[in-house]
Amino acid sequence: MKDNKQKALNIVMNILLIIYAVFALFPLLWMILISFKSDTEVFSTTFLFHPTLANYQEVLLRSDYASYIIDSVIVSGGAVLVSIIVGVPAAYALARYQFPRKEDLAFQILSYKFAPEILVVLPLFMIYQKIGLYDSYVGLIWVYQLISLPLLIWVVRGYFEDISVEIEYAAQVDGYSWYQIFFKMLVPLIKPGLVSSALLAFIFAWNSFTFPLILSSNKVYPVTVAIMKYLGTDSAHYGQLAVASTVSALPAVIFALCIQKHLVRGLSFGAVKG
Amino acid sequence: MARIELENIKKAFGKVQALDGVTFEVKDKEFFVLFGPAGAGKTTILNCIAGIAMPEEGVVKFDGEVMNLTDPAHRNVAMVFENYALYPQMTVYDNMASALRSKLYKTDEAEIKERIQRAAKIMKMENLLERLPSQLSNGQKQRVAMGRALVRTPNVFLMDEPLAHLDAKLRNSMRTELKEMQANLGTTCIYVTHDFMEAMALGDRIAIIKEGKIVQIGTSDEIYYMPCNEFTASLMGDPEINIIEAEISGSADEYTADIRVNGDTVTVPLPKDGAVYEKIDDMGLKRAHLGIRPQNVKYAFEPTDGYFKTTVYSYESIGNKSVIVAECGAYQIRMIAPNGLNVAIDSDVYIRLETDHAIFFDSETKKYIVRYDEATYVALAASEMEE
Repeated sequence: MKDNKQKALNIVMNILLIIYAVFALFPLLWMILISFKSDTEVFSTTFLFHPTLANYQEVLLRSDYASYIIDSVIVSGGAVLVSIIVGVPAAYALARYQFPRKEDLAFQILSYKFAPEILVVLPLFMIYQKIGLYDSYVGLIWVYQLISLPLLIWVVRGYFEDISVEIEYAAQVDGYSWYQIFFKMLVPLIKPGLVSSALLAFIFAWNSFTFPLILSSNKVYPVTVAIMKYLGTDSAHYGQLAVASTVSALPAVIFALCIQKHLVRGLSFGAVKG
Repeated sequence: MARIELENIKKAFGKVQALDGVTFEVKDKEFFVLFGPAGAGKTTILNCIAGIAMPEEGVVKFDGEVMNLTDPAHRNVAMVFENYALYPQMTVYDNMASALRSKLYKTDEAEIKERIQRAAKIMKMENLLERLPSQLSNGQKQRVAMGRALVRTPNVFLMDEPLAHLDAKLRNSMRTELKEMQANLGTTCIYVTHDFMEAMALGDRIAIIKEGKIVQIGTSDEIYYMPCNEFTASLMGDPEINIIEAEISGSADEYTADIRVNGDTVTVPLPKDGAVYEKIDDMGLKRAHLGIRPQNVKYAFEPTDGYFKTTVYSYESIGNKSVIVAECGAYQIRMIAPNGLNVAIDSDVYIRLETDHAIFFDSETKKYIVRYDEATYVALAASEMEE
């Protein structure tokens, strides 16, 4: 009786999950299909078409797509790098030291993630134009800290808090200097959290659209903004658009698949406290 | 190998004064035990010696050299932490080798291996060396933490309850090992415990700590037989010493003590003893607290001459012997009895206090006044100090 009930529940759950999966994945699938279609077949809603690689040739070989990807890598990678350099010590300080208004500061950092980007992007645009950061790598890397830094600080802080302070004392007594302790004892312990939050931060930075749209133009062209180029003013090459989107999504997908296991554990392990 | 001195150490955490003017000196090669209830400040003292905690006032000296501004790494102390503080990402072997691989205490790998093997043998954990701390039980972790300290040749070993999480059998054997080892290594050792058996067995001298202050420092016999106040007396000994309020009457020829038992007054004799009678005379002592160890309380289940009647509150075994607790109204009297007696709760029990072993405490200040055979114990303590 009970078994049957459990079984029925399982079936219902699975059906619901399948429905959700179809709902979530279908647009992606459709995008991939479009990328193989010629312009004439783009609007056909049947799954039957004549597959062609013309769109891929056009985008990957005959446009500046590679340079857009490189820009994205520089900006997102740079942003994550800066976040790690700044965020790990910040997380350590928030975890270990007592100072006035510590929790307020921590919350302030977190709150950067709450604000919609569009809210701050116009003032930022004006400031950036004035001080010459507009359309520069540094400018984008800087503004991406709003996306990547809070995430990294909060996850890594949880990891530091989980390390008992006596371990640091023990290492001190064992004759290690603070820097040696930090790199030899602490960094290995926060690594799962650091890797997963850095990766997630990278994906968020990679996917960011509003900031590069407003704060950069010709010199720095991340791929998210560049995709729009394939929507010409006179004609829309949906096939090429689909190719650009598909390829730009690949790094994130590959990364996420590679460390999928660490991602879930890394993010929930330190942050969730019993 | 060093002489450790603490002078007037004060340390506060927020509003809590953890250490309030702690002063003591640990001699070279001495096994010094810090003993006191939880929260007394024992661990904080170790942290101050190790340099992990900075005292707000006072001086820490190693061999007469002020160490306050020396960081923990350069003090060359080996510390065993109460929560083990093992490095989770390293195997037991690497944990134990960590100090010897640091730049400061660099040792070649062959030597490291030899020392680790030796420490592992003492700690009975040769089979654990390749494991990670997460694969160890608490007792094993504690042995690793000890081992990590033992591979070193420090100025001083600081041990924070290193045997607390071991099972009873291992604890007993380790206690013996530890004492012997320390004597062989010839290294100063400061040892924190809240187990009075450990304190008595290990300590060359014991410091009793209460609320951040040193209450008494002395050899185990000194502290056991001549506790400086009721607090110390009650810490040392299990079951706890009986503290009984008494009215003293009589004259210099013969004094007696009146105690209250369930509303009645019982007069117990105070046998003649030079030092005791002299003190009572000198101070004109009318009231005192008598401290009588449970082994100095005799009992009978039939009315007996010289015994007074009370009722049994509880009877419980503590291993190879049992404790009878007798109800006496405002207080209870504990006494040692053999196992397997047929004692019913609330039944009558007749008690005689061997007052010729009593320790006298001031009824107001709770401080030590005098005890029977004082001269014997003073001599005993003095002979221990010479050893």
